[in-house]
Amino acid sequence: MSLAQKYSQEIQAIFAKYPPEQKRSAIMSLLYLAQREEGYISQEAMKEIADMLEISVTEVAGVAGFYTLFHRQKEGKYRIQVCTDLPCALRGADSFLQELAQALGVRPGETTPDGRFTLEEVMCVGACHRAPVFQVQHGDTITFHENMSLEEALAVLKKLE
Amino acid sequence: MSKMVTLTIDGIKVTVPEGTLLVDAARQAGIHIPVFCYHPKLEPAGMCRMCLVEIGRPMIDRNTGQPILDENGQPKLQFLGKLETACTNTVSEGMVVFTQSEKARQGQKATVEFLLTSHPLDCPICDKGGECPLQDLTMAYGPAQSRFEYEDKIHLAKHVPLGDLIYLDRERCILCSRCIRFQAELVGEAVLTFDERGRSSQIVTVSDPPFDSVFSGNTTDICPVGALTTADFRFGARPWELKAAASICSQCAVGCNIVYNTRREARSDGRIVIKRVLPRQNEEVNDLWICDKGRFGYHYTESRARLTAPRAEGRPVSWEQALQKAAEGLRSASQKALIASGRLSNEDLYTLKRLADHLQMPAYLYTPIGGGEWVRRYGLSTGSDLSALGKGDAILVVASDLYEEAPLWYLRVRQAAERGAALIIAHPRTTRLERQAPHQYVLRYAYGDEGEIIERLRREAKIAQTLHEARNLVIFFGNEGMGLEQSESLAAACADLLVETGHAGRIHNGLIGVWPHPNAQGAWELGFQPIFDLQPLFETMDALYLVALDPFGDGWVRQNGRKPFLIVQDILETATVRQADVVLAACAYTEREGTFTSGERRVQRYYPAVPRYGDSRPDFAITAALGAKLGLNLEAQSAARLFQEIAGAFPAFKGLDYARLAETRPQWPPTGRADYPFSGTAQPNTQGMGKILSAVAEGTMTPLPPTMQKESLRPEEGTLLLVPIHRLFDAGSLLTPSALLHGRIGAPHIILHPKTAQEAGVTAGEKVLIEWEDRQAEALVKVEEHVPVGVGLVPRSMGIPLSRAARARLHLAERVR
Repeated sequence: MSLAQKYSQEIQAIFAKYPPEQKRSAIMSLLYLAQREEGYISQEAMKEIADMLEISVTEVAGVAGFYTLFHRQKEGKYRIQVCTDLPCALRGADSFLQELAQALGVRPGETTPDGRFTLEEVMCVGACHRAPVFQVQHGDTITFHENMSLEEALAVLKKLE
Repeated sequence: MSKMVTLTIDGIKVTVPEGTLLVDAARQAGIHIPVFCYHPKLEPAGMCRMCLVEIGRPMIDRNTGQPILDENGQPKLQFLGKLETACTNTVSEGMVVFTQSEKARQGQKATVEFLLTSHPLDCPICDKGGECPLQDLTMAYGPAQSRFEYEDKIHLAKHVPLGDLIYLDRERCILCSRCIRFQAELVGEAVLTFDERGRSSQIVTVSDPPFDSVFSGNTTDICPVGALTTADFRFGARPWELKAAASICSQCAVGCNIVYNTRREARSDGRIVIKRVLPRQNEEVNDLWICDKGRFGYHYTESRARLTAPRAEGRPVSWEQALQKAAEGLRSASQKALIASGRLSNEDLYTLKRLADHLQMPAYLYTPIGGGEWVRRYGLSTGSDLSALGKGDAILVVASDLYEEAPLWYLRVRQAAERGAALIIAHPRTTRLERQAPHQYVLRYAYGDEGEIIERLRREAKIAQTLHEARNLVIFFGNEGMGLEQSESLAAACADLLVETGHAGRIHNGLIGVWPHPNAQGAWELGFQPIFDLQPLFETMDALYLVALDPFGDGWVRQNGRKPFLIVQDILETATVRQADVVLAACAYTEREGTFTSGERRVQRYYPAVPRYGDSRPDFAITAALGAKLGLNLEAQSAARLFQEIAGAFPAFKGLDYARLAETRPQWPPTGRADYPFSGTAQPNTQGMGKILSAVAEGTMTPLPPTMQKESLRPEEGTLLLVPIHRLFDAGSLLTPSALLHGRIGAPHIILHPKTAQEAGVTAGEKVLIEWEDRQAEALVKVEEHVPVGVGLVPRSMGIPLSRAARARLHLAERVR
């Protein structure tokens, strides 16, 4: 079912926020919606958003491509994003990532065979002083987990449905 | 008149209108500020940082609003602590700019050094080498040596096809976004964008088909590096090996100014061949742009199907024998006629008309669109310029899909609408112009109701008011859904509208026929007559002289028993040539000189680019030789002298000659070798911008629309109405020799509304058999929303010989999974 059919009310509410001649401004909200639905933004979703906003599908792809938290490939249900920038690395984020990868049985960038987790190495998430830190992206929510040890991290992941 | 501002750039006083960008002001004063991302036809982006300069602005006393003066009584200047981009700053009074100061040079040098950190420096194999802004500006502004390690360069994909026609080299790209902005701003088709961000940024297209635009080739002209190249020219030649010949595009009636780049090469058996087509600047016609049909469609001139020598009864013969035979055929025929097409030059058509008059045979024009007589009388006149249209003016486009039929007019009209001109579109379906232009009124009518369009425009209060109040009114008319008679009536009604609204006979006002051929207007001006039905001619005449047309291949005529003596003069082996008794081999227009009259009545010269093919001759020379055998003395050598005769014989051409047509006027932006970084590789115009014909004498200004001579077909419940439409890329004999366009041409198809397809029990991609009248053809089904219900759109010249609207039946030929 298309997004427009499934979420007609929500989409109406989104469009209500912008003047009709500026409706292309609704692109971010619609991309969130599409990503919440499938965990990533499919070609079909981009086409549909383009039609709704009366812009080209290439323009939609350009916006989706600019933001690192919009994904265009189907991956795990939960995306575990570990920051390994310099300040985090100084607090052990590098080895934390390696340990976590080992525990999950994947390499950074890969998805667990059960399709639950994708482990990603990312740039700054804004919590250098509480590294090792990771965020879990799922649907349109992101949760932070700071000062993590491997055990604590695994406990967090276990609690995820 | 906007306020003028005076500033000083590198010590030179410059006075320009307020709002002028600093980079433009400098260029007007002859100062080249280096740029990559800036382009005078696009909005500034400030992305590449190449145009960094020092800008000082007079300090203003806040209390008095007056400049603060120093001890010498001069205004005190305030410099920002850093360099600024000349492409995003507009001029202001008293500004002092240094483009070559130590500090500015440092900034420019650093920018080049950064751009080169990951540039592959593969100039020796790069198509842009020799005409490359990055190469030139590196020489002029860059450091001789890089401080970065060569081994640290990031390597990226070098042969990324952006569609069939354009290739992207990702590591050469400097992310200036000129191509993205050209597509989004100028064309209104945002089919290119940046993917990712920062160092990972790259140009992508996700349209279907990729890079879905008929203007794509222009991005290679404005690309300041060798990142975008055409599939046609890449690795084909080096720019410095090429010679240039000024010409006019022959693919439609716009008359875009172009340059043929040629070279003599071993791989073409030592012949001089065309290597590429570049736009030639004419701000009154095509600016710096051409469409992809014009850029890539020239290969027919070197097709294997070219006729190299005359023939009689299927065998090659000498010119003398062929002409003798043709002359005998014409002499002995009591019923005879001449049919010629708008692919011929004015000189050819004039010569043909003289011969026809001499032999007292009618001279017909081969055209699917009628009404040229009205354009002759109510078309644009001397001094008109479509680029002058804007706020307060109105443009009416009737029954024509300009994007497909005349892309540069689409661009022109869209730009005029962006400047504020009111755009009125009357069309049976949504066209691209309707989706892409602002300030528009749309009149939707049903196929078959063409006779009422103008009357309905009059009745729509808002449209009527706009038409009446418009300072200038230009009307484009086509023939979608119409036969020749209906389009002629439409033209007459449009002319009537011009008269009624008080726009007839004025500069920047008039009627434009969207002809499919480059010189159809020339034929109308020179007295050729339309012919509504060709078939009877082929059944009743004793002899026909056919020049530059293929009625058998186009399906306009079928062989029905009796056959007249056929003299066929053409450049390619066609279905009609195969029927001929005598074949006269003409040379392509690229091999000779001549003039075309565009749809806006602009007469423009083209020049020889390559030598004649085989033993072919210019059309006018052939006709003159034929005339000599029939007792008529015609100019056979000089196109220029023929044009003089035309100017003497036809009042509209009065005062024109080859020298005047070769005149140019100063144009902005500047183009040429030194301005490749500024304007791209569009070529400067040094060989003529052409002249619009003068208005035909007053007194002929009261037309009445003739009544429709034939009943029009309308869509009806439970039936299918086939309607021929024009598509830019068709399978005509002039386009199929360009192999790289085959993907764009595609297979024969019929386009249906989803509902029509459903009722017919067919789905997209299936093959159907179309039956109409006593004919049939196979086609693939395409399903698109914009088609009216009950109508099947059939592109012309795509192998389905439908010349006018007809009722049809569809049968499933093959169910494709």
